[in-house]
Amino acid sequence: MTCIFLCATCTIRAQSSALRQADSLFRQGAYFEASVGYERVLFEDNNPETALHAITQKIQCLKQQGLFTQAVNFIRTNLHENLPDSTGYRLYYEQTLCTYLAGNYENALSVVEQAKLLYPTRSEEPRLKLLQLLSLNELQRWEEAGHVYNAFVGRYGVADTALSPYKHLPHLKSKDKAQWLSTFIPGAGQIYAGKPLEALVTIGMQGAGIWFGIVSFQQHYYLAAWLAGAGLFGSFHMGGVRRSEVLVEQYNRKKITQFNEQVKSAVLKMMAERQ
Amino acid sequence: MIRSVVPACHRFILLAFFFCSALSAHSQQALFSREIKFAQYLQDKELFREARYVTNRIDTTQLDRTQKDTLFYFSGWAAYNSKQLDTAVGKLLRVSPRFSLYNKSRFFAAYCLTYLARQPEAQQVLQGQQLGDSTEIEMRAFQLAGMALLRRDYNTFEQYQRGFTYGSYVLEKEEKNMAAYYKGLRSYKSKSPFLAGVYSAVLPGAGKFYAGKKRQGIAAFLPVISLAAVTYEAYRKGGVRSARFIGFGSLFSVFYIGNIWGSVLSVKVKEKEFYRAYDNKILFDLHIPLRNLYN
Repeated sequence: MTCIFLCATCTIRAQSSALRQADSLFRQGAYFEASVGYERVLFEDNNPETALHAITQKIQCLKQQGLFTQAVNFIRTNLHENLPDSTGYRLYYEQTLCTYLAGNYENALSVVEQAKLLYPTRSEEPRLKLLQLLSLNELQRWEEAGHVYNAFVGRYGVADTALSPYKHLPHLKSKDKAQWLSTFIPGAGQIYAGKPLEALVTIGMQGAGIWFGIVSFQQHYYLAAWLAGAGLFGSFHMGGVRRSEVLVEQYNRKKITQFNEQVKSAVLKMMAERQ
Repeated sequence: MIRSVVPACHRFILLAFFFCSALSAHSQQALFSREIKFAQYLQDKELFREARYVTNRIDTTQLDRTQKDTLFYFSGWAAYNSKQLDTAVGKLLRVSPRFSLYNKSRFFAAYCLTYLARQPEAQQVLQGQQLGDSTEIEMRAFQLAGMALLRRDYNTFEQYQRGFTYGSYVLEKEEKNMAAYYKGLRSYKSKSPFLAGVYSAVLPGAGKFYAGKKRQGIAAFLPVISLAAVTYEAYRKGGVRSARFIGFGSLFSVFYIGNIWGSVLSVKVKEKEFYRAYDNKILFDLHIPLRNLYN
């Protein structure tokens, strides 16, 4: 009896010390070591409360290390039906957040949608809606994002949708248009993409090719006119067309990021003010 | 009275000492066993880095031989799974012959060494093994044959190939593959960089075409020939001292010589590409039967 008592006491002490040690490592910012510690707790401890604490903390460790995909997989393996609703939802939210942070926006949206079935009473929670909104933004599905935004601000009593950033969506430029412009007017694609200096360089290089071709032709250097002059012009021209497409892509990416950041900070500010 | 008390006291101290030693050994055993189980649990969850962290922290000074073997095997296996092949070799080779997974450790250590291009060591590891099982003996022949192919030592390959039965469920497919690689490598005719250079000197781009880089050959031909045409025109109309001739002539020379040099190199590049493709296939096929046999 004494032995059993002593063994049980030692085991319980060892288990709680494992948790304490992991927590201490977490506080010190040793996230990898802490995550091993929390795994140890999960391995050794059968107490559901301790296990839940370890799971939650391990998720934080993975997030701190930027291992979002690993965090999603970890949550999936620990998210089961027997969990109480509140606990299950907490993990479910972490799963959605990590899916978003991992850059899997389509998946994040589908996880948000599944919440309607799995947690019908909580599926309209602001945190989930925020992730849905941000994911839609990243996917440039702004019309849907606008609806989610209006519903979201409505919950916070901001009824004036005229102030909605979705009224002023970023004006994106067309790659096709840039390509056509550059094809017919050298440098025009670059100007359209907002890079006038690059346009000047392109015009200069293509002009040099043409000039060399014409001068050579006038001096009866026909081969040089065609092969060097026209060849140079053709190469720079094709390069210019391709470059204009790249510039438009960069421009659009910048505008999208700016817009998404603007919405994100506005919504986060709103949430912080109302809480 | 005193005489009878002293031995009793000694006996008690001796008994207490033995009891404490036994308790300490037992707790040491329990701690080690717990850590290994935890490492196994982490490996099962494919948390190899974490498993390595756990095994690396185990103090080896108090361990007996079996415990050390278990530890070396676990550390090596975790390192192998997390692609830390150097570490894996170091750990797996420390497993002693008495350990039940000794042969597995040796085979995987040898494979890691082969992958790290340390073939002489890998060969030594395999050749020093005492094997009783016929599949393992065939596996050794297969691994050594693969290494011989990687060295392009075809005679040695043929010797080891005699040990292939093509009947073992673990090795049949890979043995056939290895035989096909042998034929492929044997039939490869290496090309001469010198000839490639000569071809490109005669006809720009022809050397690359000869080396097997047909697109590059065409891509090299066009600018060199255009520059040659423009240079000739400049020479014909402006003479040797004209700025056009000097400018285009210099450009042509650079492109022409560059193309010859490029053709020489392209033979070597093509050969490297060819052998690398085979090496990857051989390494892949050396690995599969090991996983099949020991998993």
